[in-house]
Amino acid sequence: MESPDTFTLLPIEMDPQTKAITPTHPSNPKNLTLELTTLNALHRALQSPDCTTNVPPPPIPVNPKRSANIGKLRETGNTHHKKGAYADAIKMYSLGIDMALGRPAWEPANLVREELAGLYANRAQSRMALQQWPEGSADAQCSVELKRVGNAKAWWRRGRCLVEMGRVEEAREWVKQAMEFESGEKDLVDLAREIEGRKGGK
Amino acid sequence: MVNWINLLIPFAYLGILLGSLATFSHLYRARKAARAASLAPWFGPHLQRNIYLSLLHLEPETGPKVPDSVLKAALLRRATEDIHRIIAIRNAKQALNTLLQRGSVGDDLWQRFLRAEKETEEELRDVVQEANAFQPNWGNTIFQTASEMANNALIRRRMEEIQSQTEAEKEWWEKKRAQTSSDFMKELDEGSSTSGLMSPKSVGTAASTTSKASDDDAVLVEGGGPAAQSQGGGGKKKKKNKH
Repeated sequence: MESPDTFTLLPIEMDPQTKAITPTHPSNPKNLTLELTTLNALHRALQSPDCTTNVPPPPIPVNPKRSANIGKLRETGNTHHKKGAYADAIKMYSLGIDMALGRPAWEPANLVREELAGLYANRAQSRMALQQWPEGSADAQCSVELKRVGNAKAWWRRGRCLVEMGRVEEAREWVKQAMEFESGEKDLVDLAREIEGRKGGK
Repeated sequence: MVNWINLLIPFAYLGILLGSLATFSHLYRARKAARAASLAPWFGPHLQRNIYLSLLHLEPETGPKVPDSVLKAALLRRATEDIHRIIAIRNAKQALNTLLQRGSVGDDLWQRFLRAEKETEEELRDVVQEANAFQPNWGNTIFQTASEMANNALIRRRMEEIQSQTEAEKEWWEKKRAQTSSDFMKELDEGSSTSGLMSPKSVGTAASTTSKASDDDAVLVEGGGPAAQSQGGGGKKKKKNKH
């Protein structure tokens, strides 16, 4: 980094109409162009009505409207799933996921984590019901990535998907990892036993 | 009167002594500072800070003044980068301290680290000041906001990474399933002792999830429909408990 009193003047300029910042010469280091794109996106996001005078509000309290919408989408998805309309359930969960991912970037990340973990886990379940194992596996992995502890169902779901796809070795590794977090879960223990049985059978 | 000249000798002695000590100390410190300054910086150039300051100093003749909203966004980007740096420093400090005590790393590295730490502290103070200049009390929350932004970006990147692999996995799985089902069909053809009931079921299960099933399979789907359904239903029972 430069010393506190100096800085490097970068060749950038502003479009007077759109207020977008662009590099002066097109042949610029890639990271500058990338950073300016991010900056412009953030600038647009800051125009939202939540931000009085273009300053993002403190992370807490959260605007309750979006949380309510996401909750509603999840409930609808659950209802569809119970009725057996898995494709509709997946659609609802996907909408919820998009909405949660679309939260303004300054809202609490832990909230996003919590919401997404639930939605991905549920979508994985619906996908498994449709036997879409690769997608189900990815969704369950996402859920676990967001919430490792207290998420035994998602751990189990990916393990199940891997077994169904015949990737027994991967499934074994995965379940072993899962046991470190959720050793008391009966489903996982059963799955581990099944995997061992399959391996023995082969 | 004679005493003056005699007295001059000890004074001159003292003067020369102190003078040489001062010169030595000055030179030594200057050299040390120069060496510290010449060490490679811990972090690379602070791109976000440079952008922010460049925007502040944008020449008036090349265009209109940059509006505050852009500057605020740039400041927020700068704060987010600072969060990354602060985390990097905090993570490195403990490990580096241990390594230094064991003598595994040189003093140079420690000097570089201390300098980076000091610079980052100053950078934080500067950002808070700038934020407060835009809007009173923004300085209190800007780093909270920036840290959430850093975390959120991390989550989204990770999710995208995992989901982007799905397409390839799906392709692989389609191929593998086609392989297994064709193998299975071959087995059936060879040893036709198995009842015909098995074949629609297995193919139907496979075809009901494949969008690009051939015409022949499409006929079989109907036969295998209930079988596939019952399998799906069986899976559902197991994991009914929801959030």
